[in-house]
Amino acid sequence: MADALAPSSAPASSRAGATKILDMSGIAKSYGATVAVRRVSFDIEPGEIHALLGENGAGKSTVVKVLSGIVAPDTGTLTLDGQPYAPATPMAARAAGVSTAFQELSLLPNLSVAENLMLPRQAKGAAGLVSVSQSRERAAAMLAEYGLGHIHPGVQVHALSLADKQRIEIMRAVARKPRLLVLDEPTAALSDPQWLFDILERITAAGTGVLYISHRLSEVRRLCRRGTVLRNGESIETVSLAGVEDAQIFKLMVGSAARDSHAARSSAPKDTAPEALAVTKLAGGTVQDISLRVGKGEIVGVAALEGQGQRDLFRMLAGLTHASAGEIRIDGKPVRLSNPADAAKAGIGFVPEERKTEGIFLGLQTDTNMTLPLLGKLSRFGVIDRTRETAAVLEEAGRVDMASRYLKLRIGALSGGNQQKALIGRVLMSGARHLVLFDPTRGVDVGTKAVIYDVIRQFVAQGGSALVYSTELAELIHLVDRCVVVYRGKVAGVAAGDDLTEPRLVALAAGHGA
Amino acid sequence: MNHPASTSMSTSSAQLRPQPWYRRMLSDGTTIIVAILAVLTVIFAATQADALSGSVLNDILNNSLPLALAAAGGTLVVLTRGFDLSVAGVVSLTNVLVAVYGGDGPWGALQGAAIAIAAGAAVGAINGYLVAYWNLQSIALTLASMIVCSGVTLLILDAPGGNVSDFMTYTLTDRIGGVVPAALVIAVVAYALWRILRRTDWGVGLYATGADEAAATLAGVPVKRVKLISYVLAGVCYGLAGFMLTAQTSTGTPNAGDPFLLLVFAAIALGGTSFAGGRGGVAGSMLGALTLTLLQKVLFSTGVSSFYTGIFQGVVMIAAVVVAVVFARIGSRGEALA
Repeated sequence: MADALAPSSAPASSRAGATKILDMSGIAKSYGATVAVRRVSFDIEPGEIHALLGENGAGKSTVVKVLSGIVAPDTGTLTLDGQPYAPATPMAARAAGVSTAFQELSLLPNLSVAENLMLPRQAKGAAGLVSVSQSRERAAAMLAEYGLGHIHPGVQVHALSLADKQRIEIMRAVARKPRLLVLDEPTAALSDPQWLFDILERITAAGTGVLYISHRLSEVRRLCRRGTVLRNGESIETVSLAGVEDAQIFKLMVGSAARDSHAARSSAPKDTAPEALAVTKLAGGTVQDISLRVGKGEIVGVAALEGQGQRDLFRMLAGLTHASAGEIRIDGKPVRLSNPADAAKAGIGFVPEERKTEGIFLGLQTDTNMTLPLLGKLSRFGVIDRTRETAAVLEEAGRVDMASRYLKLRIGALSGGNQQKALIGRVLMSGARHLVLFDPTRGVDVGTKAVIYDVIRQFVAQGGSALVYSTELAELIHLVDRCVVVYRGKVAGVAAGDDLTEPRLVALAAGHGA
Repeated sequence: MNHPASTSMSTSSAQLRPQPWYRRMLSDGTTIIVAILAVLTVIFAATQADALSGSVLNDILNNSLPLALAAAGGTLVVLTRGFDLSVAGVVSLTNVLVAVYGGDGPWGALQGAAIAIAAGAAVGAINGYLVAYWNLQSIALTLASMIVCSGVTLLILDAPGGNVSDFMTYTLTDRIGGVVPAALVIAVVAYALWRILRRTDWGVGLYATGADEAAATLAGVPVKRVKLISYVLAGVCYGLAGFMLTAQTSTGTPNAGDPFLLLVFAAIALGGTSFAGGRGGVAGSMLGALTLTLLQKVLFSTGVSSFYTGIFQGVVMIAAVVVAVVFARIGSRGEALA
């Protein structure tokens, strides 16, 4: 069965002259000043499973959204079966023959499996009203056809396992008999993807095109003959996968392979530094088993693909997520961090992922935002001492290189970069000794990034320690001493020294480390 | 989505079936409100001799109906994960409109009902359009429309008055053929209409929209239209509530709707509808309204001062919410084990 999927015998090769299922050329999309995709072009032939490869933030999900009618591209053209294709809504995309199984799953937890499968139009019985029995009958037939007979159509979706939810999401997309099927990380929750491979074999034999997005390169190699590599919102190259090695693909995803790795890193081996912050066999949330240690004066990076548990790891260190097992040690002493106040008391300064919702108070002035956590220290008999507040803020603003004219403005009016500087300034002012930074340079400009790097380096040089997660691997390599790679809630490997290169990190993050 | 606990392969287990009826009843808010109602009825029957007589029951139903209709309407908006505060304004407005422009006899009452429904639908349409298509916050917007409606009400009638026909005052609040209370018939008809609407694509889309708007959009649910229709239907319900309030009080009072603002949400919460959207239903809210009214009667019949009414209503609400959470936990625990 699976052999028929071997790339060489893909039906596409015999129909090279036929009209392409999809032809995407020069697609660009920006959200305000943020460029999501710059220039993406590729095509899919009938019966082809085409891979879309790229790091986090390379623009894959934007391509999915464009194809599914969720966002309209700013420029560029799309043709589907030779016809111009510009869907305005998800329903228009579906009507034109494109259906998508979304990574974040588009199932409604409070509806039954049958209702979900029938959306938006349920089966109708007498008097044009929804017939539950007919909907269930049709859903049961559909489930049986795709080998999911173990799921009762009347079950509410929230009761299903994540794997079954993913199967239903895929099945719903396939069952619409599309011309182009878009699968965004379809196997993320499937422990046995053979079920999906069998379906793909069936539909590609009938000429359907498939866009397959997965970070599992082994799967991609097995299914796809060609793949397009995205980097920074551009399609770099469409490669014939049979002819290239994994390492070469990772290089294409990352860019110039030999980027000068790290500038101002002290060469002193830091393994001997006294332990500042460490976790042992930590579990909780999506974290299965993570152990790592950050020495005094050390910057340790965390790299991972989307949703591998890094978020919960950082939230546990910030006292926001409950740790179910394992130990967190600070300066060698075990601590329990059951809420953010515990974490702050233990000396952890946490900079969260969502600046706007978790970090700052948009309606307040910048200086007030910075002094909020230490108002107690700045006040006398419960009344804030404005002179001391101003002095403290000015000093801190100097450290994070923020112009003092911003201090009296509402922080919401500042650029993302300056907001982030204020937020980091606040964490430093609070007297934290261990920085825990989750994607601290997200959405900030290059100049601010440099400032943030300097602040972190200075901070550890003065005896602090820092744990940094970033979606940008280049940034980690530039900044950190060692990098721990997390994959599926566990440590996949540690890269340091000469090993600290992007291809190495990408390979580890994709589970190819061993 | 981030719960890895449920990733066990279900192929190993037998077919996953819907929960058995007793579990579903536990996690369904309506069960709790029926239980509370039963307890209150027993207390009421024990403390007042003629509690179960036709005329007393008719009285209770009449007193509950306006709130029940308004709560039914409010539920539609809460199910979309919105809040509709305009209820107080619309009830006042339609109360005054019916008192001033309603005619005599059955046809006059019909004319009054038509005016009330039209006014309610118009306010609901404006609310719904602005919330759904302009993405305005429902609380802020409907607060504004409540204030506007109250203002318009004062322009129509600036002091209690108006002229309500005998047909409305007596026939609409009486028992049909001396047996079935008219209020009960109206409530049952309203509930039946909801059951029918529930079995349309709008009805399924309503729950989808409330649970997860983004996912509903991806699944093809016309989310904006679903919301618009919810607000319009809610407005119609408020209009009917104002109409029945007029019949019951036989007068037009410019601030008659004010008590509805909080009581509507109390009835919805009592009925087990989640303010997070996508869970609950109209039946619970209507029974919740009945419970709040019956509670007043019980306090009166047991000789508790009416000053305590608010305290007891609040305590019953807290109890209902706590019990609902406990039951939901038990329900979902069974699920995880299954």
